[in-house]
Amino acid sequence: MANGTWKIARRSNVQLPLVIVLALAVVLVLLGRAQSHLFDQARMRLTDLMAPALEGLHAPVESFNRWIGSIGEIFVVYKENLALKDENARLRQWRTVAVVMEARVKRYQALLHAVPDPAIDSRLARVIGRANRPFLQTMVLDAGLADGTKPGQAVVDDRGMIGRIYLAGQRTSWVILLTDLNSRVPVSVVSPGGASVQAMLTGDNTALPVLDTLSGQVRLQPGDQVVSSGDGGLLPPGLPIGTVAAAGNGYRVALLADPAASQDVEILAFRQPPEALPPVTKDQLPAAAAGLPPATGTDAPGAPAAAALNAAAAPPAKAPAPKEKADGAPPAAALPAGPAPGNE
Amino acid sequence: MAPRPPPRFRRDLRRAMNKAMADRARLMTGARLLAALVPVACGLLAVFVSNLPVTLLGGLVPPPLLGLVPVYFWCLVRPDLMTPAAAFVIGILQDIMGGGPPGVWTLSFVAAYAVVARQRDAFAGLSGLGAVLGFSTAALIACAVAYLTVALYYWHLTPLGPMVGELVMTVLFYIPGAFVVGSIHRRLVGAARSDP
Repeated sequence: MANGTWKIARRSNVQLPLVIVLALAVVLVLLGRAQSHLFDQARMRLTDLMAPALEGLHAPVESFNRWIGSIGEIFVVYKENLALKDENARLRQWRTVAVVMEARVKRYQALLHAVPDPAIDSRLARVIGRANRPFLQTMVLDAGLADGTKPGQAVVDDRGMIGRIYLAGQRTSWVILLTDLNSRVPVSVVSPGGASVQAMLTGDNTALPVLDTLSGQVRLQPGDQVVSSGDGGLLPPGLPIGTVAAAGNGYRVALLADPAASQDVEILAFRQPPEALPPVTKDQLPAAAAGLPPATGTDAPGAPAAAALNAAAAPPAKAPAPKEKADGAPPAAALPAGPAPGNE
Repeated sequence: MAPRPPPRFRRDLRRAMNKAMADRARLMTGARLLAALVPVACGLLAVFVSNLPVTLLGGLVPPPLLGLVPVYFWCLVRPDLMTPAAAFVIGILQDIMGGGPPGVWTLSFVAAYAVVARQRDAFAGLSGLGAVLGFSTAALIACAVAYLTVALYYWHLTPLGPMVGELVMTVLFYIPGAFVVGSIHRRLVGAARSDP
């Protein structure tokens, strides 16, 4: 420094040329798109390392946030108290209605032998960090792979769904919020009349995510309930998410949960296993079910299909289709030619 | 006239002087190494601090890009210490800690560095409010590159509001950031620089 101004040093010749570094940065973007798990692993290891510090830092920061948030509420405490009392009285009435309806639904389910809802395993986790960045809205939980947390699991608080587990480290995990740019959740929009419309809830980094993939004919009313549809089997159906809010030509969703205020959340370990198909008997194969002769084992690959096509073009056989035996064993004609079991 | 010291004493004196000079040179080399590491270390520390998953004010405002302050400052003052590779490394840490699509912030940091480095004389001559405007230009370039890269990444335009918030916060934090970085430069980097 000279005369109070910064002295500009001469450029060193020993450095990577700028063009090469720019090219490397572009390659990194492309590589990151193809191999994003490398960055994800680095993020999770870093977050795991920072977890103790974050846990220590979380309490004072939350206290500060609460203090800041409460400054404006001091002046409306009386008014808000009256409104809350009124709302509480109405909610008590609704609770009574809900209890009666729940008992009635259970009775109907028993009468109709309805398939019971799958049990959902859940665990409680504490929020130890939050981040609100232009391309990522997330919160960090103190539960990871060691606790059974896996990517894709739903995260809810006492009001509704917050998001899904995005990355899971050994001791910590990142939650992708419903408002995040990358969030896509299949939902059902339930109107008061009971009609249900399937849609996709798409985050766009604003407070109200968009209801997407609706057909043009669908008309929703502000206030309609939005719940998870359960499509895809990752999320349990019926999780409360929010209510419909009109926004221009489209619809958005006012979320029930408040990720900025949640302290303890629940991770739902729901994974609906794909339903196993019943075993197929020989009679249920297309050719056998159509009453066509079985393919022989000596035919070349593709010959059974060709034979079936030829037979289909021929006049229909007069003989009835072979019936399954009473003991459930397929008839001999339905079995492929070859050595019988035990005769080898 | 003082008596001439004996030859043995002169030899010992020469050895002692040589040893002192060697020690001083070693010390200078260590100091230079430290000075060379300080800008990159400051950049990495700034990225680490600004990307801690802790939000004040209930997450109403996004965190500033504090890592851009050391990159801009030392790109002007000591480009031999803040090289394009250093900006690249700082950008990678921003990508890892900041989340989002990988490589976006690396590209934007290097792009901002490239513009500042090419117009270095113009940027270095700014002072006062002009210096803030100069940094705002660099931050605007970084944010614009990041925004466009993400738009290409997802193939649709994302809301502009959060990015504008990030830009505003970054520019607001430049003034205290530049003060801290300037102090570090005076105490560590500037003092250690003693090119003949």
